[in-house]
Amino acid sequence: MADQNKTDTEGQFYNEILSPSELFAARSRSHKIPVRGQKDFFPNDSDEQRQRLEQTLNEHWSLISEERVERLANLVKATWVPSDQIVELQSPAGKFWQTMGFSANGKQYLLPEEALYLMECGNLLVFYKGLPLSIQDGYERFLSSNTISLQQYQVFGHLKRLGYVVHRFDSSLEPSSYMRQLNLPQSRDKTVRQLKRKRSASPTSTSTSTSTSTSTPLSSHTETQKESTTERMEEDKCSREYEEDKKSESHFTASSETPEFQTAATSSADEAAGRHWWMSDALTDPGHTSDHSPTSGSSRWDFRSIIFPDLGSREHHPGRLASPDPSLLPGALTVGVCDVATWSQRINLRKVKMSSKEERREEDKHRRRWDVNKDKEVRQCRNWTEYQELMSRRQGKQKGRPEHLWNREVTPLHDPRQPISTGELLDKISVIKSTNLLEGASSIKGSDEWRICFNVYQPDTVADFKKSNPGKPYSRMCVCSFHSPVPDLRALKLLAFQSGDIPVVFAVVDHGDISFYTFKDFQLPTDVYP
Amino acid sequence: MATEGVEKTSEDAPAAGKVCTRFDLEKETELRFEVEAGEAAEQVEMELLTGMAEVFGSELNRNKKYTFGAGSKIAVFTWQGCSVNLYGKPEVAYVSKETPMLLYLNTHAALEQMRKQAERDNERGPRVMVVGPTDVGKSTVCRLLLSYAVRVGRRPTLVELDVGQSGVSVPGTVSALCIERPADVEEGFSVQAPLVYHFGSTTPGTNIKLYNKLTSCLAEVFSQRCEVNRKASVGGCIINTCGWVKGSGYQALVHCASAFQVDVVLVLDHERLYNELKRDLPHFVRVVLLPKSGGVVERSKECRRDARDEKIREYFYGFRGVTFYPFSFEVRFSDVRIYKIGAPSIPDSCLPLGMSQDDTQLKLVPVTPGRDLTYHVLSVSSAEDGEEGVRKGIVESPVCGFIVVTNVDTQTQVMKVLSPAPRPLPRHTLLIMDIRFMDMK
Repeated sequence: MADQNKTDTEGQFYNEILSPSELFAARSRSHKIPVRGQKDFFPNDSDEQRQRLEQTLNEHWSLISEERVERLANLVKATWVPSDQIVELQSPAGKFWQTMGFSANGKQYLLPEEALYLMECGNLLVFYKGLPLSIQDGYERFLSSNTISLQQYQVFGHLKRLGYVVHRFDSSLEPSSYMRQLNLPQSRDKTVRQLKRKRSASPTSTSTSTSTSTSTPLSSHTETQKESTTERMEEDKCSREYEEDKKSESHFTASSETPEFQTAATSSADEAAGRHWWMSDALTDPGHTSDHSPTSGSSRWDFRSIIFPDLGSREHHPGRLASPDPSLLPGALTVGVCDVATWSQRINLRKVKMSSKEERREEDKHRRRWDVNKDKEVRQCRNWTEYQELMSRRQGKQKGRPEHLWNREVTPLHDPRQPISTGELLDKISVIKSTNLLEGASSIKGSDEWRICFNVYQPDTVADFKKSNPGKPYSRMCVCSFHSPVPDLRALKLLAFQSGDIPVVFAVVDHGDISFYTFKDFQLPTDVYP
Repeated sequence: MATEGVEKTSEDAPAAGKVCTRFDLEKETELRFEVEAGEAAEQVEMELLTGMAEVFGSELNRNKKYTFGAGSKIAVFTWQGCSVNLYGKPEVAYVSKETPMLLYLNTHAALEQMRKQAERDNERGPRVMVVGPTDVGKSTVCRLLLSYAVRVGRRPTLVELDVGQSGVSVPGTVSALCIERPADVEEGFSVQAPLVYHFGSTTPGTNIKLYNKLTSCLAEVFSQRCEVNRKASVGGCIINTCGWVKGSGYQALVHCASAFQVDVVLVLDHERLYNELKRDLPHFVRVVLLPKSGGVVERSKECRRDARDEKIREYFYGFRGVTFYPFSFEVRFSDVRIYKIGAPSIPDSCLPLGMSQDDTQLKLVPVTPGRDLTYHVLSVSSAEDGEEGVRKGIVESPVCGFIVVTNVDTQTQVMKVLSPAPRPLPRHTLLIMDIRFMDMK
């Protein structure tokens, strides 16, 4: 529609019809926005610079003065209500209704910034006192200290053009810090509806009632937990109690190292390679026959009468086992003799698959280690208790932390026997510290100098966006001018606190150029599982 | 040959539409059959018609139909001879004469002799450790020996140290179970009040120190029990171990032998391991080499993983997923404390000169709840809720039960869990496992 011809009468204006050629010209116009290019660093009074400047200005003016041509049928009609600083829709809303506007008292309204944006997009025609408003009129009337500033509108328009859903921020709808602590559902819709339903009750009473209901499961936990487990663990209760008293730590380390107790011993002759190494071992090794050797302490089991079908020690057993006493067998079975010899041929003789590294380690071990039972003292032992006593006697003292490091005034930062996560360690070293923008923010008194203007929702949510339940905003906008002072830490903290867990972004407007800044907490790295 | 007795009698199949195959077994032979693995596999039913037979030491009832689901590998052994009907289509089914059952029976006889002596002399009964590489039938030999022992009136204890394929509890745990009746032919041993400790991973290698520690814990508790319970003491224990027999795995075996003070070590099908153990264990420990059964099937990685999954499902839904009805509820992060056992080690550069750290494997590290928690199995530790001081005992405390995190909501700081019991959780100390379980099907 025409922007310029304001002198026309209403009827003429409204019925203005473009001739086909004019329409064609308007339609085939280039829709490109002229590229401004880089700014010159400083004015140098050269002709060239002046010309370039002029050309850019001209492009700019011609772009602004351009007539916008839209089909009348595509325009949604609305009227400006100056008393409420609001735009009321007169004809059915377009697609924009999904993300913009609101209804009240059965009527549909647009906020002034929304109306202005839609006017610029060519979606809306706003009338005031029966006359249509031009875009320039719109700028003049809609943007005021009562609604929003020009800078705020610029940020709004910029974000809208990028596809974001932008709503005004209303701090009264934000959950209080107390509600946040309680983990109440943060949907704005719910809280509003709840308040509506319980209008009679005061807001404080509703919040306390919800808080008590959430805390009940906590208290009931402690009472019931005991009963349910005692039953089950009854059996091993006494043993566990005993165990906890016991310093099993030392006992454990002592016993775990038994296999290595003789690492310093002379090298054994046990180096025969190939699959027969155990054969030679068995033959040359007196320790093998020790269970029958009279010199050894006798075990309480007499394995000469208790016969196992052992395929390993061929030399001690005949090829056949006598049939066992039926009284020992389940169901008083009677079975015949057992032929061990045939089985001994079928035993697995294949070599263990090992990596070269493992093989080397094994070889090394064999060279250093020898049979436990070659030791006279070990042979005297009759049972595990004696053997373990012997081992712990030989074990000697255990290694602890090097005491001298802790004797002096300056001690190591951390005892390496204590486990510590990377985060804690960095904390201890404390070269850098984590920051928290919200720290101490709750005690700061509010000020009106800075406020959050918009809730911004991501463009990809538009498809299933609901105005009544918009969910959590992606970020919140605070609009600043490039010429006004930078917000101080107090203001930053205050805004961050107001916004809760949603990041606050500062949109800094410099003559229509908008840059976005945000402050982020710094976190030291912590361990991530797994 | 027993196989000659096989005759198809499909025309009088009583089970609806299922093929019926009859096998006549001679004495001391066994019928081995495998049920196809996979979702669509048909179950196989087995019925003893005449004679007597047993499955891994548990006697079969005559004219009772036993059902075996997908992936089952069953051996029906008879000492006297019998005839068996199979309904359905097993993947393989054959009769074998070559079974080491007689050797295993002789082993049992020797153990029973030891128990008799222990009873007479008022001492403790035999403690047996079954070792061997993977897929040699360690668990089956354990089951066999336990079933025989129960059948002659003993009360042995099964100590399950195989964290990968636990026969008692969910994988990633070590456990002890008092055996009071022979294993059920279909279900295995009835799991009542087992003592379970959290390990957290399916291989002992991820935290060998913790593994050894838990072995010591179990041994300690078992010894306590033996002191107060004469029957348990005489019954002794049978320890099932992991199939890891090299390096640290071998050291863990030696440690286990020492912790439990074992009297007999049964080495299955690994002569080298046999000789190593003979050398490294004191002379009064009887090390016995036994063959593996020809019926033992090697299991693939997938098969093991499925078996683990099935075990967890069984924990929540009962045998064949029909007996139990688990609960699903939300737990707030603030109500529970989640730990992982084993702290990440400090870089050596942060340590004073000449120091090394070794104890971090047993320490508790708090886990910040996050989305990565989803599907992890968590053990509910029986450690008392409360002060920091309790923290020390968490590693050595048994587990009350397990829950699976099905969903994490970081915004509202709650997680949804699958639990065998309704809310609230009995305790609020949770230990995270590496094992994940997706509740599908």
